Amino acid sequence: MTYQKIRAGINLYAVIKNLEDLIALDNECNQLVRESVISIQFKVKNGPKAWINFNKGECEVGQGKIKNPKIVLWFSSPEHLNKMFDGKANPIPLKGFTKIKFLQNEFTQITSKLEYYLKPELIKTPSDDYLKLNTRFTLTVAAFALSEIAKNDKKAKITASHIPNGKIQLSVLPDGPAVYLTIEKGVITANKGKTNNPDAVMEMKDYKTANDFLNGKSNPFKAIACGEVIIKGQTPMLDNLSLILDKVQHYIE
Amino acid sequence: MKTYTYTKSRELFKKATDVIPCGIYGHFSPAPLIPVSDYPFYVDKAKGSRFWDVDGNEFIDYMCAYGPMVLGYNNEKIDAAAAAQREKVNCGPAPGEVMIELAQEFVDTVDIADWAFFAKNGADMTTFALMVARAKTGRDKIIRLKGGYHGTAPWSQSPDHHGITFGDSQNIVIGEWNNYEALEKFLHQNKGEVAGIISTPYHHPTFADNELPAEGYWKKVEALCKNEGVVLILDSVRTGFRLDYGGSNEYFGFKPDLIAFCKAIANGYPISALVGTEEMKNAASNVFHTGSYWYSAEPMAAALATIRELKAINAVGRMHDIGVKLGQGLVDLAKEHGYNMKWSGHPAMPYFRITDDPSLMLHQKWCGECTKRGAYFTSHHNWFVSAAHTDEDIQQTLKIADEAFKALKSK
Repeated sequence: MTYQKIRAGINLYAVIKNLEDLIALDNECNQLVRESVISIQFKVKNGPKAWINFNKGECEVGQGKIKNPKIVLWFSSPEHLNKMFDGKANPIPLKGFTKIKFLQNEFTQITSKLEYYLKPELIKTPSDDYLKLNTRFTLTVAAFALSEIAKNDKKAKITASHIPNGKIQLSVLPDGPAVYLTIEKGVITANKGKTNNPDAVMEMKDYKTANDFLNGKSNPFKAIACGEVIIKGQTPMLDNLSLILDKVQHYIE
Repeated sequence: MKTYTYTKSRELFKKATDVIPCGIYGHFSPAPLIPVSDYPFYVDKAKGSRFWDVDGNEFIDYMCAYGPMVLGYNNEKIDAAAAAQREKVNCGPAPGEVMIELAQEFVDTVDIADWAFFAKNGADMTTFALMVARAKTGRDKIIRLKGGYHGTAPWSQSPDHHGITFGDSQNIVIGEWNNYEALEKFLHQNKGEVAGIISTPYHHPTFADNELPAEGYWKKVEALCKNEGVVLILDSVRTGFRLDYGGSNEYFGFKPDLIAFCKAIANGYPISALVGTEEMKNAASNVFHTGSYWYSAEPMAAALATIRELKAINAVGRMHDIGVKLGQGLVDLAKEHGYNMKWSGHPAMPYFRITDDPSLMLHQKWCGECTKRGAYFTSHHNWFVSAAHTDEDIQQTLKIADEAFKALKSK
């Protein structure tokens, strides 16, 4: 049950979060929702709640509830939600029957594109643009998955409790995507972008390095020792964080 | 001042990662060496207080192999004693006579010691100490303190670490350094359940200022343990023979039941020791604990020679004095450059931190600048001085540190 709950949290809070950047950066997806003003509420019994708001070519994803959603999708359990993400189940629409067309067309196309960008193993020779988006999305998934795992995984809870309060910056150099994590009393909150005066920093020297590192294709120790991944500051924060990061794959596989 | 490059170190490391997990694992891992580009990874040779890396760069060493080097690398007296024993026998079908001589030396030198038991690494001895405490008391629980390091045996790691289970630490209770009241409360609430308490004589965690015991702390802990029938175990693996020949506990004025030694006892030869009081001897006899190389005679001869030489040349006094010169020099130098250098821990094992940046990034940068100019400093761990460090070493180190402070400002 814990596994399904954590996975549902990752799907709703980490995977779906990437729709914001997908709509902003992928022209095809942007075109699909250029005129759309529509919000979707996800409700999972005994599980996470999240919403997506499309507003004329922009997208915002948040945790909790949104006011007056146009569509409400209900799931009987975290497992039900996860099955939908695996393409093996459908949601139960509670509201917005007139908007079903949006779900079947535009929304399906967008989520298919997101899936495409998150599965590099299916691409024979990924282009630089693909690599960049995959890296950005993988970084977002990792960052936002951390807080879900730290909240609910038995061992990760211990790890999170060992992380001193402060901020950790994760960035792709020279000007790639960045996320930062705020840790307070063992609670990890992820944000996109950069923060001032982080306590610990992990910088990946370019997209290729970041992609290999985040997708588990490179040896982290080798990457750090060879200067491809640069760490500095309160590295015990990063040591503990990496213990939780190592669990992400287990929950998204 | 010339700054170093590490081409060959990097080439070797890349080869190493093909055939060795992590390339270099454990406490020698390059990961906490920040910025990693400022540090060598492989050593070619060493003599006295210095080592040369595989790129030919020379360093004054302030890590001393993370503690074992105490009389200088390749010390001729110690090496000669080891060689003489090796020519007779090292690994044989039975112990050498030197084992008894070494045990006698410990008994004669360390105040609480009525016996000595030998192995290879610090963790062999801290683990043995727990077993002895349990055998002696018939109890299960062990208290260890948060941030204390006692090796990598599963009981000494947090259950969230890779390869560790909740079962491994089932009977381990985590206490807090210098918090006598919490310890007293726990022992009173868990009467008859705690076999032992294991602690270093002062708190020397990584990435944090070191803390000496509060006034009266150890005396109160000693009395509490006696009253509650709890075995007091001192992990002196890092501090042993750097603070006091009679045991680091003597430096702080208390008497544990067991003391674990390693690092400095044989100037780099592989051996560790657990010593204890007469009262612990039967329990130690009853516990079965051994290893393939624990009877090797060569390191025993090296340990015997090392302990005798440490006392003969007043190494503890020398290390204290050289540590004070280093520490005071760095604190003053930092002040001249407008920085605040905090110096904590014992002078022979100082921990330094530039406090102007709590994230440690400034301190890491400065340590890296020093290292690539020839003073091998790490930013995450206490340093070590040895009896081989000289006033000339300190003078050269302070010149390097001065350059490093200037480099911080020029960037």
